[in-house]
Amino acid sequence: MTSLSLFAPSGGRLLRSGFLLPAFLIAVVAILVVAPLLRILLTTLTPEGLAAWKAVLFSPLSANLWWRPLFNTMILGFSVGAGCLLIGGFLAWLVVMTDVPGRRYLGLMATLPYMIPSFAAALAWGTLFRNSRLGGSAGFFETSGLAIPDWLAWGLIPTAIVLIAHYYSLAYTIIAAALSSVGADLVEAGQMAGAKRPRIFFGIILPVVTPALIAAASLTFAGAVANFAAPALLGLPVRMQTLSTRLFGMIETGQNERGFVLALLLIAVSALFLWLSDRIVSGRRAFVTVTGKGGRTKRFPLGAWRWPLFTVAVVIGLLTTVMPVLVLAASSLAPQSGALFSNWTLHFWIGEGGGEIAQGQAGIFRNPVLIDALWNTIRLGLVVAFTTMLLGLALAYTIVQRRGSLLATVLSQLAFLPLLVPSIAFAAAYIALFGAPIGPLPSLYGTFALLVIAASAHNLPFAVQSGRSVLGQISADIEESARLTGAGLIRRLFAIIFPLAIRGLFAGAILVFVKMVRDLSLVVLLFTATSPVLSMVAYRYAAEGFMQFANAITLVILVVCLAASLLAHSLQNRVQKWKQP
Amino acid sequence: MLKRLTNATLAACFILPSIAVASDLDGMTPQQLLPLAQKEGSVTVFSLSSRIAKIEKAFEAAYPGIDLIGLDMSSTKQIARIEAEQQAGVHAVDVLYIADTPVVFTKLLEAKRIVNYVPPRVTGELEDRYKGPLLTQRLSTKVLMYNEKAFPDGSPVANLWQLTEPQWQGRVLMVDPSQRGELLDLLTEIALHPDEMAAAYKAHFGKDIEVEADLQGAGEQFIKDLFANDLILVPNSDVLNKSVGDVNAKNPPVGFGTYSDRRDNEKEGWALQIANNVEPANGILFPAVLTVADKAPNPAAARLLIDFMFGDDTPSGGPGFEPFNVPGDYATRRTIADHPDSVKLGELKAWTIDPAKTAAARGRIADLIITLQ
Repeated sequence: MTSLSLFAPSGGRLLRSGFLLPAFLIAVVAILVVAPLLRILLTTLTPEGLAAWKAVLFSPLSANLWWRPLFNTMILGFSVGAGCLLIGGFLAWLVVMTDVPGRRYLGLMATLPYMIPSFAAALAWGTLFRNSRLGGSAGFFETSGLAIPDWLAWGLIPTAIVLIAHYYSLAYTIIAAALSSVGADLVEAGQMAGAKRPRIFFGIILPVVTPALIAAASLTFAGAVANFAAPALLGLPVRMQTLSTRLFGMIETGQNERGFVLALLLIAVSALFLWLSDRIVSGRRAFVTVTGKGGRTKRFPLGAWRWPLFTVAVVIGLLTTVMPVLVLAASSLAPQSGALFSNWTLHFWIGEGGGEIAQGQAGIFRNPVLIDALWNTIRLGLVVAFTTMLLGLALAYTIVQRRGSLLATVLSQLAFLPLLVPSIAFAAAYIALFGAPIGPLPSLYGTFALLVIAASAHNLPFAVQSGRSVLGQISADIEESARLTGAGLIRRLFAIIFPLAIRGLFAGAILVFVKMVRDLSLVVLLFTATSPVLSMVAYRYAAEGFMQFANAITLVILVVCLAASLLAHSLQNRVQKWKQP
Repeated sequence: MLKRLTNATLAACFILPSIAVASDLDGMTPQQLLPLAQKEGSVTVFSLSSRIAKIEKAFEAAYPGIDLIGLDMSSTKQIARIEAEQQAGVHAVDVLYIADTPVVFTKLLEAKRIVNYVPPRVTGELEDRYKGPLLTQRLSTKVLMYNEKAFPDGSPVANLWQLTEPQWQGRVLMVDPSQRGELLDLLTEIALHPDEMAAAYKAHFGKDIEVEADLQGAGEQFIKDLFANDLILVPNSDVLNKSVGDVNAKNPPVGFGTYSDRRDNEKEGWALQIANNVEPANGILFPAVLTVADKAPNPAAARLLIDFMFGDDTPSGGPGFEPFNVPGDYATRRTIADHPDSVKLGELKAWTIDPAKTAAARGRIADLIITLQ
């Protein structure tokens, strides 16, 4: 800290001009986000690209290639966004603001679904609701004699439900972080003034966490819109296409230009909605208040509702966390993927190999590359989470400071887009842009650095959105008084903003970490090292038809994510000492 | 002027030998390649199959001193990566082991991002169509599969046109051809055989086919009728195999799948079997090719590896081919015997795709199936 205070003033003087940081950020965003996007745009301006624009928008194909998938995608996006806000917000309120029993466990359970891949939730749905449309063995309900209609087994409705079950924990993470910084003094003031509970909720708490709600809604919307596994597994059997399945299909069948056109259009439509939600937030400047002033969070007594609400939360947790984990665990133990709950064996975890099972392959804990892969995965996840949060914090800070200005609008829009660019296009653009040496800079091809840069850019939205939602609550006068006493930007960052915003920052870091640890596409295209990451090991097993091994690895990944989130939780408690009883 | 001439001569002195070297390499035996490859020290291969790990062990044992770096990734990702790398002037990969040949043909071969190489050691044992435009190492299938437990008397389908009749409505499965290239290739191949499809129609229905005005040929009419008969699309072959193959199923559907998946029958509780006697064909054979990347950093080792992956002279192909020798896939090299448990290649009623022809016709079929959804 001493060294910091030594350096802070000089750095501060430069930064206080209020010009350097925004200029730097504009440059960074231009290189990391705008350049790859422009490159993708340029590839759609070639003759083939222009033909693709025409085919997508103005041809007999348009209806099935663009309009109907767009319609499905938007319905999915909005219903998942709304559903996630309801469930994630409800759980966050319950865990953070009330005296519901077992808060810590409920909170832990609510963070889990996002760490479980969405295909597990879709599989879990199939185990229960699959009907005879595809043949094969039916789901639980049909075998028990209950006919499941097609609309409940396949298509939009099950896809939306599965995606809500997957993404609500993302909303929970962000909203809980914001709620935990609502000061008790505000609530107490309301109570002293005689306000009733609904009045306090709608008049004080809701407005204060509005930025977090918008952030959560945007991220879950984008997640649902970009998700491939759930709509493919549950939608294709009734020929429901979304933009993500269309996009994947176009690239997979070598029609890249059409895929890129779809991606760009999707980005444009989503940006429009984001801009609208941005307007809502910036129109409510009055709510910059709260954190850093009050003491501990004030908890509402639930009274007679304590146990009923607890039961609701537990049921949600059981359905969205325990069920998918159970299906994953069972499928890492069952020799036949068609009969998940019979003939369990630990072979796929610790078996010695050489026998009859799995063509003589040994269990994952006997795979010599596993430890290597585990270490690589954790390293990659930590580094990317750190760089992404650093960049995201700077961006969020600038956006919040200059709320309403053109700069803030442009930066926040750009920082949101990478989530919607398909990984394969993003990675290809990065190789083409940074593979060759640029001026004095060496070629980054095949380096760990390139992977980290691309991944940071790709995951930027998580960092920026979660950073914004928390920074938006830090009252400007604390920073103002620090500035008046002569504290530079860096000093203010470390002494005020960082400790106050740490919960939100860690929430974002966890989301980035989880995404990075699970995501394969970027890694496979940008990483040349022969020692792989866990998701590559899982892919290798799956490609050989051994889903049991792949699912075992997925569970290992889940444990890694969970450990990271527990670590972050204990760290943030240590920093925010004033919250401890 | 004189200076330019000297420059040109100088350049010629440097460039000509390197061209000569490359073409020399193409004619060398493995024994001649070995010392050059050992000097290069390593070879990097992108592989569609993770079984490249087994090849790595075998190759490094056979040719000590050459480090094989194998990266397994899907054909689509290989193409994306090669394109992006070469645009950035990076040449880091030597060999591609890749399928999706119609896309490889247009995006990589025509763009001169790869060069074809046929090892002289095996050239006499390959049919011409397997030597160019791309060197085919083995053939995989997308063919009609049925459940042999539910249909013990053999395939319930003897003519593709049966699949367009009410009996099979909602009971034919296929991985979505707008999601996966091989299935798009299958439908394209059907469209490329209009006369045979018309003859099969007449054999089945006893009358000549009437093709709708906006469609070209009986093949395209079949595709339209198949979709109209509630063809069920699934996201991947795992889902398909489970649905078609389940041993406990009462009245299971049929589906266009992979013959070699039959080898998992016992492990997974499936009863998958190929429907071979189908008019006019039961599906396609499509190639997995081995090719050298343009300006490969280790050209000799690249050629040595491709040579190695065609196996030795034994019927199993030895350590260089064995990992890929599974029932239901077929080696192109004549000395390697077909697996005893599977239909012989010569008796398989599947069309073999021609990457160049498929590439030319594929776009139209891709558009057609989008309108049919």
